[in-house]
Amino acid sequence: MEHKSSAYTRRSLLKTIAVGSGTLALGHFAGASAFAQQLPAAAKRLPSFTGPGPNPYWNSVGPIATYPQKAPLVLLTDRPVQLETPRNYFLNAITPNEAFFVRWHLESIPNEVDLSSWQLHIEGNVNKPLALSFSDLLHKFKPVTFAAVNQCSGNSRSRFGPRVAGGQWGNGAMGCARWTGVHFRELLDMAGVKSGSVQVQMQGLERGKGPKGMPSYEFKKSLDLSNPVLDESIVAYSMNGEPLPMLNGFPVRLIVPGYFATYWVKCLTDVRLLDKPDENFWMNPAYRVPDTPRGTTTPADVAGGKVKMIPISRMPVRSFIISPDGATKIPAGLPVTVRGTSFSGYGRVVKVEFSDAARGGWREAKLGDDLGPYAFRTWECAWTPEKPGKYDLAVRATDEKGNVQSDEGVWNPGGYLWNKIERQAVVVGDAA
Amino acid sequence: MIGAGKKRRMFFALLIGVCVLAVGAIYADLEIGYYTAANLGSVAQPAPPRLQTSDVYSVAAYPLYSPQLVPGVGRQDAAAYCNTCHTPSYITMQPPLPAATWKAEVDKMGKAFGAQIPTDAQTRILQYLDTHYTPETRKR
Repeated sequence: MEHKSSAYTRRSLLKTIAVGSGTLALGHFAGASAFAQQLPAAAKRLPSFTGPGPNPYWNSVGPIATYPQKAPLVLLTDRPVQLETPRNYFLNAITPNEAFFVRWHLESIPNEVDLSSWQLHIEGNVNKPLALSFSDLLHKFKPVTFAAVNQCSGNSRSRFGPRVAGGQWGNGAMGCARWTGVHFRELLDMAGVKSGSVQVQMQGLERGKGPKGMPSYEFKKSLDLSNPVLDESIVAYSMNGEPLPMLNGFPVRLIVPGYFATYWVKCLTDVRLLDKPDENFWMNPAYRVPDTPRGTTTPADVAGGKVKMIPISRMPVRSFIISPDGATKIPAGLPVTVRGTSFSGYGRVVKVEFSDAARGGWREAKLGDDLGPYAFRTWECAWTPEKPGKYDLAVRATDEKGNVQSDEGVWNPGGYLWNKIERQAVVVGDAA
Repeated sequence: MIGAGKKRRMFFALLIGVCVLAVGAIYADLEIGYYTAANLGSVAQPAPPRLQTSDVYSVAAYPLYSPQLVPGVGRQDAAAYCNTCHTPSYITMQPPLPAATWKAEVDKMGKAFGAQIPTDAQTRILQYLDTHYTPETRKR
């Protein structure tokens, strides 16, 4: 009691004196700087760009920006719009619509869609061209729902060494939603695909300022009709039980589970059956990867014209550490739950392993709910750093086909297919 | 003899010293209550839109947050021609790129995308990019 009251007296006396002599501010700042070495300063800002080395940050370094129907996201470019999902959203297996990343190729994207005139056309090499209304899609077909990861081909492009030009994504050009829609094959069958058809081409409302016939005017993607992924693909009109945000492709977009997002055409309006392969720019040379293991090559081989390029397809297995994110010091001895997410375009993630480097080996993490073969699968692992120091946390996933992440990065001229083992430096402090 | 004024000054100097020591002692173990001036974001919260029951589904205009290109010879050309299809964010987002890569990019805009940029303007754009956006030259 005596101690407490004397402390109180001392403090209140000090305060009274300080206020009385008008030196509160002086005492506060001078005292603190004289006795404590580290004055809290304003948080430092990220640099406005990274390079020529790899981007060391989890996300891209752009500012946070707000767009219609969107939570604040990381801005890459403002016209055409490219927005990245901040790291924290990936603690959950389902990415909210308002946080879902955005990537357009061309600048003229819809601000408005009139469903009284909007139609989905199935045409080209078909027996009976179709023009379906939004209501047709809702009511004339059996709805299908599944969760699937949508990931930009160039996700993590900023990790490349040497760096390549293009959208400088960190890891946040990905998201997982529950998509509801209509089987794509059902629509094709209804239109009656004529024999001799080889590919199906998709196009949406996206347009550009370039001359007609140029890739700067329109964006078109195609898939081989023989590709089994078409059996799993749907035309989705619902995303997480909500309408698609305009920036994510309202009113419908194609869902191609397991495949990179380049095929998931947004604001889909035109489906064309082709009797010869699509050679438009967005199929060739764009979105092509080396026909090598893991799609990796070297700048020298590309320059030497030695590399056969093929259209990008399935997403390699990946996993991420979401928390801890390295921004917070952890007291030694405190039990921590390391958490993250994982997925593979080749099917379910069956194993996630965690390492803190200090103990060497990998140990198996506990997997979260299985939301389907192409969904995010969260993971967590209990971790108690016993000693202070810098720890290098790492995570690697294995999918049901036996694909496992490696410590080797990839390099290709497009900046695609990055799936190197992710690491997170964490500082563990003294805790007497 | 010490004057009254000097005495008072000594008293206050001592007082300040005590304040400094005491407040310092209080804060030595635990930093608390430090704030810093910050810029309030210039983006206000959007008001909820007024919606009609028609077939028309719309969103507000997409905001432009275009960065400034570094001042210098050729900036006007870069701004004028490149801006047709995309804002300067497509330049500033890139890591510092070697001159040969910028050349390939500008060539791609013309040949693959059909951007109509006169040869002399292309030359000025490339010189501008080389002067400000390569590993050797990029400052911001």
